[in-house]
Amino acid sequence: MIEMNRVNHTFAIGKAGKERKVPVLKDVTLDVREGEIIAILGRSGSGKSTLLNVLAGFMRPESGSILVGGREVSTLSESAMADFRLAHYGFIFQNFQLMPGLTAAENIELPLKIKGIPVQERKRKVGELLAQVGLTEVAAHYPNELSGGQQQRVSIARALITDPPILLADEPTGSLDSETEQDILHLIQSLNRKLGLTFVIITHDAEVADIAHRQYQLHDGELVKGEKRHAV
Amino acid sequence: MLFKDQLEFIRTHMKRNKMRVSTTILASAMGCAFLIVLASVGFGLHKTITEDVLDNSMVTQIEVPGRESTDDPITSADTDEMRALDHVIAVVERSQPEVEGQVFLGDRSIYAPTILTKLEEEKKAGLKLAEGEMPTEAGEVVVGYHFAEHLLTEAEMENEERTEDMGFKGSLIGQEIELQLTPYEGDAEPATWTFTVAGVAAESGKDWQVDTSVYADASWGPVFVEQLELPEVYTSVLVYADDLQNVAEVTKHLKDDGYYAYSVTEELKSMDTFFAALKAGLVFVGTIAVLIASIGIFNTMTMAVTERTREIGVMKAIGAKPKLIQRLFLMESAAIGLIGTAIAVVVSYGVSILANWIVPIIILSSLDGEGGEDVAITISTIPWQLVLIAAAISITVAMVSGWRPARKATQIDVIQALRQEM
Repeated sequence: MIEMNRVNHTFAIGKAGKERKVPVLKDVTLDVREGEIIAILGRSGSGKSTLLNVLAGFMRPESGSILVGGREVSTLSESAMADFRLAHYGFIFQNFQLMPGLTAAENIELPLKIKGIPVQERKRKVGELLAQVGLTEVAAHYPNELSGGQQQRVSIARALITDPPILLADEPTGSLDSETEQDILHLIQSLNRKLGLTFVIITHDAEVADIAHRQYQLHDGELVKGEKRHAV
Repeated sequence: MLFKDQLEFIRTHMKRNKMRVSTTILASAMGCAFLIVLASVGFGLHKTITEDVLDNSMVTQIEVPGRESTDDPITSADTDEMRALDHVIAVVERSQPEVEGQVFLGDRSIYAPTILTKLEEEKKAGLKLAEGEMPTEAGEVVVGYHFAEHLLTEAEMENEERTEDMGFKGSLIGQEIELQLTPYEGDAEPATWTFTVAGVAAESGKDWQVDTSVYADASWGPVFVEQLELPEVYTSVLVYADDLQNVAEVTKHLKDDGYYAYSVTEELKSMDTFFAALKAGLVFVGTIAVLIASIGIFNTMTMAVTERTREIGVMKAIGAKPKLIQRLFLMESAAIGLIGTAIAVVVSYGVSILANWIVPIIILSSLDGEGGEDVAITISTIPWQLVLIAAAISITVAMVSGWRPARKATQIDVIQALRQEM
């Protein structure tokens, strides 16, 4: 499903002309199979967010290749990458990234609007997903009227609305209390089992990583296979 | 994204920043209204002066005073050639002997200009009768519309105050009048001829024109010249076209044939050139106001992009193309321009109506009522073309102002944007 081959990336630090190049990703190679949950663990500054950004197409790697569904995405134009994201990726962010001026239902509907889907079909799909994530009651609420868990459910519903095969999650429970965290993790597991969705989860939390089928550790830009603490 | 959703998207955002957007729309409306009102003065004055020219001239009449190359008078062979031209309906040769004409009817008299012409041609050229018929014999004449009311007794003449009951009452048709002609120069004695009034000319469309003339057949010219020992009578030639649209063509033809020719189209042409330049100048000055207003649009859109950086980042992250982001911002600035223009058009029409109502009152009061009844000024006119020009300028300027902020929005880095706090 996803094949990252010898991906390298560096950041330039310092004033212009006197920059110092710091490697963030070093020869990262990763193979994610369809329907898998992969967790990438690492401390702050280990490069795990950069890995996700490169995979999502938010930045281009300096070298290496990224094949998603057999297609090279690291060389796509900005516009083509936007189309690719809309069709293949769903995003779950740590701080939810909801539009404050839109209701829960409108936030979920947004990717379909961008895709140009007619309103009737949009309403039907939004209704189904609201029910699936248990938010029908709060469909008309604005993000600031929702709890953290509810906001993350809205974010997950928004990620699922275009039926993407891959979900990229950056610290999906980072802003939640432990009880809500469990709810969200169960939801991710359930979506993986029922819909066969592929998840790439970036986290520093071993408990979150425990739901993954495979774990990787990022140490100073180098990816190494991790050990699971216990079975999923 | 569907067009309907794009409109809804910008409507939502404009609503969220109601105060800022409204003040920007207001500034845009003021700039556009200034442009329309300013240019409307050019259009208004053009209309007023054109109407004035058309009111004061026979629009299908072309004056032919003579030839360009020689001083030879225009002969009847020449006028026959003119009659044969396309779109010419009549060629009138008028002459006015250098005499003072006085007409007597019983105890009444009037000083009346004597015009010698071919009355059949005058009829073709549009001379209409209010009463009677066109003369069929040489001893018959047509008199001007105001002839009767100025035909006064001696007592009435001495009375400086004119009243409606003065003048000849009743019909002039069939009345015998005595025309006494006195040469302006020379020693010849005045001579008198008797004519019968066959017709009274209809009133001209121009309120100010008083016609007390006596129109006699051109064949009287040589008789008057001989009897009164007059110099050669100067004949002016007037060519009449069938329609105003054909006046320019006939005028050109006459000029090409070597005649001096002057028609209302000549005057209108030079006026049109002048007013086209004036209107373009006024639109240019008005555009400066629109440009000043565009600074407001630029600021509003720049702030909108800055404030919505995170939202733009989210949209790009979930699959919005840079072109869509750019289009949404351009549409927002165009909407500001469009709403501003709509308001400006309504306001401008109001200002125009008000100006056309107030300015003539001011002019009348400054004239203390003297000649005020003739004042018919249109100070401001807003044709649909002006509305289109102003709308095009205003919306284009609005979109150009929004261009840079819209480009900036497309260049927002997703990673940086997502790091921003709500």
